[in-house]
Amino acid sequence: MTEVIRTNGLKIGYKGMALFPEINVSMMQGDLVALAGPNGAGKTTLFKTLSASLKPVSGEVQVFGKPLPSYSPSERASLFSLVLTEKPDDLFLKVADIVAAGRYPHLGLLARLHKDDERIIAESLHTIGITHLAHRSFISLSDGEKQKVMIAKALVQDTPIIFMDEPAAFLDYPSKIELMALMLMLTRDKGKTILFSSHDLDLLLRYSDTMWVVAHNRPLVSGAPKNLINDGIIDTYFPPIKAKEQFFWMNR
Amino acid sequence: MGTTGRKAGFWMPTLILLVGMLLFALNLLIGSVSIPFSDFIDAVFHNADTTSRSIILEYRLPQALTALLAGMGLSVSGLLMQTLFRNPLADPSILGISSGASLGVAFSVLMAGSISSIALSGMTWWTTIGAASAAFVGAFLVLLLILAVSTRLRNMVSLILVGIMIAYIASSVTDMLKFFSRKEDVHSFVIWGMGSFSAVTKAQLPFLASCIGIGVVASFFLSKTLNLLLLGDRYAENLGVNTRRSSMIIILVSGFLTAIVTAFCGPIAFLGLAVPHIARFLFRSSNHKVLIPTTILIGTDLALLCNLIARLPGFEGNLPINSVTALIGAPIVIWVIFHRQNILKK
Repeated sequence: MTEVIRTNGLKIGYKGMALFPEINVSMMQGDLVALAGPNGAGKTTLFKTLSASLKPVSGEVQVFGKPLPSYSPSERASLFSLVLTEKPDDLFLKVADIVAAGRYPHLGLLARLHKDDERIIAESLHTIGITHLAHRSFISLSDGEKQKVMIAKALVQDTPIIFMDEPAAFLDYPSKIELMALMLMLTRDKGKTILFSSHDLDLLLRYSDTMWVVAHNRPLVSGAPKNLINDGIIDTYFPPIKAKEQFFWMNR
Repeated sequence: MGTTGRKAGFWMPTLILLVGMLLFALNLLIGSVSIPFSDFIDAVFHNADTTSRSIILEYRLPQALTALLAGMGLSVSGLLMQTLFRNPLADPSILGISSGASLGVAFSVLMAGSISSIALSGMTWWTTIGAASAAFVGAFLVLLLILAVSTRLRNMVSLILVGIMIAYIASSVTDMLKFFSRKEDVHSFVIWGMGSFSAVTKAQLPFLASCIGIGVVASFFLSKTLNLLLLGDRYAENLGVNTRRSSMIIILVSGFLTAIVTAFCGPIAFLGLAVPHIARFLFRSSNHKVLIPTTILIGTDLALLCNLIARLPGFEGNLPINSVTALIGAPIVIWVIFHRQNILKK
């Protein structure tokens, strides 16, 4: 199995201030990695650093064995795609337009879509199950539908790595399950490597292959969900959950 | 994005184009001197050597062409700014870009007048180029300032307030310059400031046309970047856009277009603001591959219409073009604001 991402002595943060001790982790091809931690712990900062929109405080990120800065912006566009918490808000953006934009790194200066591109777009819309939304305006969609559109865009971009920052936020429970099934399919069937963040512990424990657990000023711990529970890591990193659970059991 | 607006993709642009051709013909036909239709046909198609012919070819034709070019330039410039700042109210006049250009022109015209005694009224080829470059420098500086501010203020109302304040500063400096200048220069500067499509001579037209042409062609090549910027900076960067460099190029192109039009026709308000909105609402799209060509077509239509109204028989000479563009443009903008709210509520 290929190693997709590796960090060596990586410290992340802003203005030279590191949020955590050194991070040394790796992701293998086909992994569904979950980044867990409370809000404000630095999950988005880690995403920004791994996707090269923020420089590390120290250390380095390697992608396919090469340091991240050695890739040009256009090369990076074919390495990883993003699904972010912020969403486009233009009034007249259509779903088809947004998904097609994922194809742009593969197109020429005038961004003309060829037959192949049209086919790839149609396939992704089908895979995600939003073919019927193609001509709808983006802002008229529900949060769950918007999320799917952004994932379709990432799929069309055709990158080995997909970063998803809080993809399940604002989704109702059935949509969350649907989303996780989709992510499992992308990693298992399409060989994508996905890193996603969430603070929904239940979801993370149930679906991810590997979990990276963060908390402010604590080292990032990486491991299989089962091992993290057995080692007591989850308990120490999520004390409120444990307290709540005990309260729940005692008052039954 | 070939799937966007296919239904409206053919007949609507054709209709807009036909309206444009009709307006162009009316611009040649109607004016303060009334020319009977038969004389008009004679003058245009039969080379009859009459006064009508010289009025049409020497006066009305350059003016109609200028209106057409200015309409294109300002509308495309407004579209680029609205996308760059992701702000529906961005426009050369609202963000103070036109005021920057005016200040540039004021510097070149009023100062040059005081120093070398060349009045704007006696504008030669080189002073025109000088005024155009000064307008460009002024517009570009204000755009840079606005861009710097916009990276700190993501709030659209604050950005517009800053633009309005910059416009005030620029116009107060312009007023001070006027105070120290010769009367003739000030008079011609004030007339220039009201806006007119009639100041461009036949000899200057090719220069104006090629400048607008360059800007418009450049904007076609920007449509890919502009479409990506609509998704937000982080998505755009992820899709290979160098946001800093692209912003710079977009600013250069839109500043260039605004500056050229402003130098030749005066600061013209509202065209750049209103036209991109009309294009978006008519074509239900924000894809620049659709918006740029349609904005160009609608921009020429609206500029020709404004010029026609400014010259309707009954008005001695020309009305200031700015009073007409504002009268037509401002209600459109108000309508857009209400309509946006309805869309957002859905």
